[in-house]
Amino acid sequence: MRSIARVLLIFALVAATAPAALAQQAGPLQLENAWARRAPAMAGGGHGTGGAMAPGGMGNGAVYVTITNRGTEADALVSATTDAATSVELHETVQEGGVMKMRPRPKFEVAGGGRLEMKPGSYHIMLLGLKRDLKPGDTVSVVLTFEKAGRMTVEAPVR
Amino acid sequence: MVHARAYGLPRRREVRRLGATVVTLLLIAGAVGAAPPGGFRGGALDPPRPAPDFTLKAHDGTAFSLSEQRGHVVALVFGYTFCPDVCPTTLAELAQVRSRLEPTAAARLRVAFVTVDPERDDAARLRAYTQAFDRAFVGLTGTPGELVAVQKAYGVIVKKHVAKGTSAAYLVDHSAFVYVIDGEGRLRLMLPFGTSIDTMTHDIGLLLGR
Repeated sequence: MRSIARVLLIFALVAATAPAALAQQAGPLQLENAWARRAPAMAGGGHGTGGAMAPGGMGNGAVYVTITNRGTEADALVSATTDAATSVELHETVQEGGVMKMRPRPKFEVAGGGRLEMKPGSYHIMLLGLKRDLKPGDTVSVVLTFEKAGRMTVEAPVR
Repeated sequence: MVHARAYGLPRRREVRRLGATVVTLLLIAGAVGAAPPGGFRGGALDPPRPAPDFTLKAHDGTAFSLSEQRGHVVALVFGYTFCPDVCPTTLAELAQVRSRLEPTAAARLRVAFVTVDPERDDAARLRAYTQAFDRAFVGLTGTPGELVAVQKAYGVIVKKHVAKGTSAAYLVDHSAFVYVIDGEGRLRLMLPFGTSIDTMTHDIGLLLGR
């Protein structure tokens, strides 16, 4: 009898906590169309004479994700990590008179009911210091941290 | 865990439109005989002008002179290997263009990636970077003076930018056109960033067809 009670208690605890954990994962944010641009790690290849390189490989990459906010409150992507690169930054490329300018951004905001589509020549997640080549067929796992929704993981196929 | 949807293949409507354009061009060509092809869909130069010649060093150490590429169509791209967004997008798109062309036509298309960042881009980096997209691509570098001369000749704007909030020592702002030079050494197209692969394939294909 006591063991049945214990099992029931465990069930109750799992039932109480699991949906909460799931809700935090999914939340009002939906991530889709994640992909990474193919890029060579360029480990050990060449050397620069000026400026510090990102430690590790010298190749960089980009990951693109579409974030849809189905909630009413704004949220923001504030950081990202991946085991495929030494560091990760949020960047936006802006075009002015045919000149492409890449700029770091502290966060990507997504308004309530809004959508942020990362794409080439616009918002992107920049991977600095690739630890391995990103080749078509590979997948890059990226952990995104949002101000409110917390952490979410995307699997970005390389192409 | 979120799984991405597979990336869409070229939209059927665009392919159909391309087919319609080709048919139209054939009809026009048939009607007016030996009229020049025209019918470019991207940024065509009218009239074409001579492409400024230059000699730079290819990633394999050989000299690359534009004037020695006669008979080939050359697509010139200015960029830097540190760039993760615009430059690889352009190179990946040109790799797709090459794969869509007939093999004999593709063999006559030379894609040259000219660095705007000679400080960081040596031959080894240029090789690794360009070869990740297409083994037929060539990375070009030179002395800062040689590279600035080529940039000026083609009207390419390059500006080093030290940005806050990044571990990169600097970023390089640069023009992102694809300059397409025909087999007679004339600059024919300046394709801005964002030109569709269909349009690039169509226009470069026209130049390769003549």
